[in-house]
Amino acid sequence: MAINKNSNAYIIIYTVVMVVIVGALLAFLATSLKPKQDANVLNEQKVSIMKAFGEADASFDEVVTMGNLVGGEFVAVDGSDKDGVQAIFSILGDRKALAEAQDNLPIFQLEKEGVVKYVLPIVGKGLWGDIWGYVALQQSEDNVVITGIVMDHAGETPGLGAEIATAKVQDEFRGKALYNAEGEFAVRMQKGGAQNEHQVDAITGGTKTCDGVNAMLATSIGKYESFLRTVEAAVEASCECGECGAEEAANVESVKTEEE
Amino acid sequence: MKLSKNFSNPLAANNPVIVQILGICSALAVTVKLEPAFVMGLSVTFVTAFSNLVMSLMRNGVPSRIRIIVQLVVIATLVIVVDQFLRAYMYDVSKQLSVYVGLIITNCIVMGRVEAFALGNKPWDAFVDGVANGLGYAFILVLVAFFRELFGSGTLFGFDVIARFGYVNNSLMLFPPMALIIVGIIIWVHRSINKDLQEK
Repeated sequence: MAINKNSNAYIIIYTVVMVVIVGALLAFLATSLKPKQDANVLNEQKVSIMKAFGEADASFDEVVTMGNLVGGEFVAVDGSDKDGVQAIFSILGDRKALAEAQDNLPIFQLEKEGVVKYVLPIVGKGLWGDIWGYVALQQSEDNVVITGIVMDHAGETPGLGAEIATAKVQDEFRGKALYNAEGEFAVRMQKGGAQNEHQVDAITGGTKTCDGVNAMLATSIGKYESFLRTVEAAVEASCECGECGAEEAANVESVKTEEE
Repeated sequence: MKLSKNFSNPLAANNPVIVQILGICSALAVTVKLEPAFVMGLSVTFVTAFSNLVMSLMRNGVPSRIRIIVQLVVIATLVIVVDQFLRAYMYDVSKQLSVYVGLIITNCIVMGRVEAFALGNKPWDAFVDGVANGLGYAFILVLVAFFRELFGSGTLFGFDVIARFGYVNNSLMLFPPMALIIVGIIIWVHRSINKDLQEK
């Protein structure tokens, strides 16, 4: 069979056939693997949130109440509300959208033995790329205390900035109160070592990344500030009757019913 | 060419990384820990093997004017297949490998073998050549990662090996330049054993 393999017609037909075959193959593969990949991403987000809560062994779906902060109010999203749940996790997966969001902020609530904790997503910029994570907060008498934090990064320097992803650095944040006596946001990684009870030692050689962490904490938590402070006030008020846990739960219930 | 020689050659005497000095960039990037290095090695082996096989099967029909483009399409397709499977079934490792899976496309070993070997040989020979070159690459990656993880993190495959004896991790090992130095040492040792490789 004498086909001129270098004729334009042959080349064009060859290319078209090849591209159609390859395109079909990849499209099929991508579609069939997509559910599995999405499940992986979702699972990772849930595991990170549970780690921030300090409940790595518990099941996210059973114990966590998902919600959004709409105009400073906690609006619970029921686990069976597929669109609502998907909206929350898709914004968690989109760091740019999360950084720009001003309203409708995702928030997670976990109640255990009468103690209510909240987990907020945090997102910022390190030295080389994005940094992100989750911070767990709990109200104390007159302040908001960090009970856990998980952080991850896209490409910080191994051994230096990348240390923010290690338990050693993250454990330092545990028990730090957010606001100082003047009511200012005071948690930060301090170069040269912590100067006061709100500060955490910065990482030697990772100053730029630590600056990024400071900015991330201040900005991301700042968006939730009005909510955190109202919760704080509510706790103070309700604690006097010694029913803070029940009160909180009742609040959430009432929000839920309003939703329905 | 004998099949056994065809297979053993790229593993040592004509190793793509330490003799031809190809594929160095990913060797620097993914050798901080053994697990990603291992998976990367297997991924590259898969891609070299099957791109060689496919191109060898297609070799009589490919118009020579666009053969490089055809090679790229075949290689890119295989790389995307690997990437998608890693994301679905080995999510943690795929996160560690990040962009370097996609960058297998630009790994000189893959295209080098297709162009130099697969286009002129029968499918089975080409497949064996691809596997051998991939394994030659994987072997060096794992060797580098072994030293970097052992002395940089004190672990092997994530298991605590020497840290428990009071070893203080040397974070210098985790930096990319250290990978280059280790590759250099491996090349040095390899050439002092195989004297015929030494340049005059």
